[in-house]
Amino acid sequence: MKKGHNTRFSFIILLTAIILIGSHVPAKAHKVMIFAWVEGDTVFTESKFSGGKKAIHAPVEIFDKDGKKLLEGKTDNEGEFSFKIPKVTDLRIVLNAAMGHKAEWTVPESEIREAGAIVEKKSTAEPSGPIAVGLSKKEVQKIVEDSLDKKLRPIIRMITESRNTKPSLTEIIGGIGYIFGLMGVALYFKNRGKKR
Amino acid sequence: MHISEGVLSAPVLVTGAALAVTGISVGLKKMDYDKIPEAAVLSATFFVASLIHVPMGPSSVHLVLNGINGLLLGWLCFPSILVALALQAILFQFGGITVLGVNTVIMALPGLMGYYVFGNLIKGKNRLLSLAAAFACGFFSVLLSGIFVAGALLFTGKSFISAAKLILLAHLPVMIIEGIITLFCVAFLKKVKPEILGGVYEKGS
Repeated sequence: MKKGHNTRFSFIILLTAIILIGSHVPAKAHKVMIFAWVEGDTVFTESKFSGGKKAIHAPVEIFDKDGKKLLEGKTDNEGEFSFKIPKVTDLRIVLNAAMGHKAEWTVPESEIREAGAIVEKKSTAEPSGPIAVGLSKKEVQKIVEDSLDKKLRPIIRMITESRNTKPSLTEIIGGIGYIFGLMGVALYFKNRGKKR
Repeated sequence: MHISEGVLSAPVLVTGAALAVTGISVGLKKMDYDKIPEAAVLSATFFVASLIHVPMGPSSVHLVLNGINGLLLGWLCFPSILVALALQAILFQFGGITVLGVNTVIMALPGLMGYYVFGNLIKGKNRLLSLAAAFACGFFSVLLSGIFVAGALLFTGKSFISAAKLILLAHLPVMIIEGIITLFCVAFLKKVKPEILGGVYEKGS
């Protein structure tokens, strides 16, 4: 009798839990992330909570390879923050969102060098003069880069988003499964102790 | 409410882990046969509750449900919450493995305190008083968790007042919601299965 009661009670809670899972559709994980990329001599960063909410007005700090702080700033209303590259080195970008949330992203030195090389090439190539009517080589390069940036932005965004994994149903159900599995293990050991 | 990896200093992490181990070992000792399914169900509830979000300012906060966990499980809420937090850390990257101890203490200790402070009132005959105590238990468990988070951040060199203010303000709606959830749980259990409210001591173990 008592046992039946117990199962029924567990069952009700389990059902409630399942209903709650179903209702969590716009799942927002409790996690913050930052993503950075280099364009020319500037590093752009984007910060958000997983689920897509922007981390606005959150302090961002940039460290070099040895952990020395190079500069700091705050994300704007879009969760974005950009800065000129202060030094050619591995840049460690740390975001400190409120309430103990933290994320970081490292821009490797090679990426900065590559982006910087383009800028340098641009300036050395300039004296060679116009390559098309009324357009200097630099201008052409700039136009190409601008349109590339524009075209690539959505892709960069997509990559950010795909990194931004929110808990899937599989993981949730899996987690619950683990818990009940553990319960089974605990019951098994208790039961064995009892029989002895 | 979950503190991320790499935020806290080593002494805070070690203290948290030590406290968590103490709580868990007491909890495991008190775990008897009948309580295991209950602990598992509440662990699963806690595990899922963190996915229910209340949008709030720049961030969003989620349900914690540590009040009802502590209230029904007593010391057992330590292992129950540890399991849920470990799975959240592995599967969702909430918090992290190194901060597991601190996070367990932050969430389980207020529940345990709620169990000792409000448990007797909730078990009492006076219906109104017991429901009020249930609300208070849910409310204060989240409040205390917030204070513990601020405390953990304080020892890591963050300003206590500003962190606490932010956390408490952000969690005010959660406190109220959890108070109401705890109230309804208690009201329901009183009707259906009042002996469960006795916690682990009811059976004299």
